[in-house]
Amino acid sequence: MHPPTTFSLQDANGQEMQFPPQGPVLLALVKEDCDTCNLTLPLLEAVHRATDDGLDVWVAVQKTEDIPVLKDRHDLTMPLLDDDALDLSYETDIDTVPTLFLYDEDQNCTLQTFGFDRHEWHEIARESMALAGRPDGGTDIDWDALPVQRPGCGARNYEPGVYERLQAIKSGDLLSRLVDLASSDDIHDFMYEQGYTDGFPVVPPTRERVWNMLQGTDRDPQDEIAIVPPNLAPITVEKIAINAVMAGAKPEYMPSIIALVEIACTDSFNIHGVLATTMGATPVGIFNGPIRDRIGMNYLHGALGSGNRANAAIGRALRLCVRNVGGSIPGGTDRATQGGPHRLTMNFAENEDAGPWESLAVEYGFEPTDDVATLMAMSGGPATIADERSREARGMAGTLAASMSCMQDPKSPMVDTLVVLSPDHAGIFGRSGWSKDDVRECIMEETSIPLKYRLRSDDAGCGLPQSVVERFGGEAALDFPVPKFREKSNIILVVAGSAAAKFSTILGGWAGGAYSVPTSATIGPNGALEVRGSRESDMDKHSSGGRDLGAFEPSVRRS
Amino acid sequence: MVTQILDPTDERVPIKRSLTPRPEALHGTIALLDISKPRGDVFLNRLEELLHERAPGVETRRFMKPTVAKPAPQPIKDAILEECDFVIEALAD
Repeated sequence: MHPPTTFSLQDANGQEMQFPPQGPVLLALVKEDCDTCNLTLPLLEAVHRATDDGLDVWVAVQKTEDIPVLKDRHDLTMPLLDDDALDLSYETDIDTVPTLFLYDEDQNCTLQTFGFDRHEWHEIARESMALAGRPDGGTDIDWDALPVQRPGCGARNYEPGVYERLQAIKSGDLLSRLVDLASSDDIHDFMYEQGYTDGFPVVPPTRERVWNMLQGTDRDPQDEIAIVPPNLAPITVEKIAINAVMAGAKPEYMPSIIALVEIACTDSFNIHGVLATTMGATPVGIFNGPIRDRIGMNYLHGALGSGNRANAAIGRALRLCVRNVGGSIPGGTDRATQGGPHRLTMNFAENEDAGPWESLAVEYGFEPTDDVATLMAMSGGPATIADERSREARGMAGTLAASMSCMQDPKSPMVDTLVVLSPDHAGIFGRSGWSKDDVRECIMEETSIPLKYRLRSDDAGCGLPQSVVERFGGEAALDFPVPKFREKSNIILVVAGSAAAKFSTILGGWAGGAYSVPTSATIGPNGALEVRGSRESDMDKHSSGGRDLGAFEPSVRRS
Repeated sequence: MVTQILDPTDERVPIKRSLTPRPEALHGTIALLDISKPRGDVFLNRLEELLHERAPGVETRRFMKPTVAKPAPQPIKDAILEECDFVIEALAD
């Protein structure tokens, strides 16, 4: 607590009282619903009466409505100041009432205390009399009748909600525009009509909530984190916090949300294309490392949705940041033809202990103890693979391959596909001693069909143009086997969910995965520590040569 | 009751730009920009033919974005600005 030097408050009659007054002064801060304050107010009144004009006794009350109550209850004649706005309480940073400051005639604070300690209060009363020029005078206080000690009460400026409001208003940390609502406005209708939401109601981003959210990171609220497409708008920590509040996040999610924003806005991940595409892609977040448990993420029952706050809110916060700051609005620059529910939020943690392999993060070169978030651009929504019969790895991999062979369309080769294996399915591979690469090899083999079956035809217009035949050596290439996936590393294997049953999930990459690279970051207390893509950008390699193929450069196996 | 919230947007006011006045006739050089979408070349090839046929004095110059998935690189935008009087973009499939 800091003794105030100057302030101005109104007394019970509405008269402005300037601090400090001339001469010595005893200043107290109290509230009505505090037994210790009620114990001490008669003592302060006694000092006030005994010191007469030699010393001012001012009492600041933390609520306007309590002033007449206290005045009547204790028959008070000393000035009662109105600190309902808690300006004085905030400036002095008191956390306990009553708090007492004694100033001499030169406005030096010579004594201060809080709560009630009989010895200290007696000393302050004696010193007050001395400052009033009556060193030998006494008050009519029967000190022996008073308790030796009583703890004070929590000051109102530190009450939950009030503290955050004061910090939000007075700290100067928040610079965003305040949007006023009319009293007749429904907050949820209003926010939807302003275009701030993803369709669902959001948590109103009041100053208190946003300030509280900012406590999840040590970063300066005005630090610029990234330039967010499509409007290429700078996003600050404060703007992320506002959208995180709206998404329903908790402060401890902030480092993860900041990291996702940083990943999304890399050239490697290319959020501009992910959200502008007519194909309706969305960032899918996968978390690895101790952070999963630290912030309560779900990697067990229902890991892919719904019901877990961290999973849902972190992904939603990223989407709201890109919508509100980046300006990606469906029908505007977001040109998704159909979209999908996974575009609201798609974010989960890997069930690292249930899988037989290293985690995705370790596969991408991070340490098992690193907190890592990876974003992948997926346009195919979660599709279930049900196989309750396979007991051997070969059969299980065959099921995956058959299910994946028709992704996007049955002919076109593609790039990234995310396979989220349930622990039961992953366990089949583990028991058979299959590595991730063994599974991938098998899928590459099983999905390979002769090039001629991947060509466009009158029966099915999808697939590769006839022109690719020449590129791969003419007629002889027609029987070359072409796998569904360009490289085996494009088959991304993770484990999530509970050991409930033998169901897994696949998600198809955007445009086959050619325009966005799975990109990861280690998460530190203040966001991303290191961001890196899982491979070189495909766009550079296939910029023009692959345009006749759409985005895809098929891997032809010459046998 | 909530009476004030913080603005979640970037708070920037878009710059208002007026349309460039339309010329009386085609002249100079027309940029034909392919954004790398399938069949963009088919469309622009035909358009180029028609331009040469119906506006013989007009030159055309072809440009192509390296990828459909990102905005045009600045050098392409600069080249169009410096070398051309008009631009026609083949957008979408």
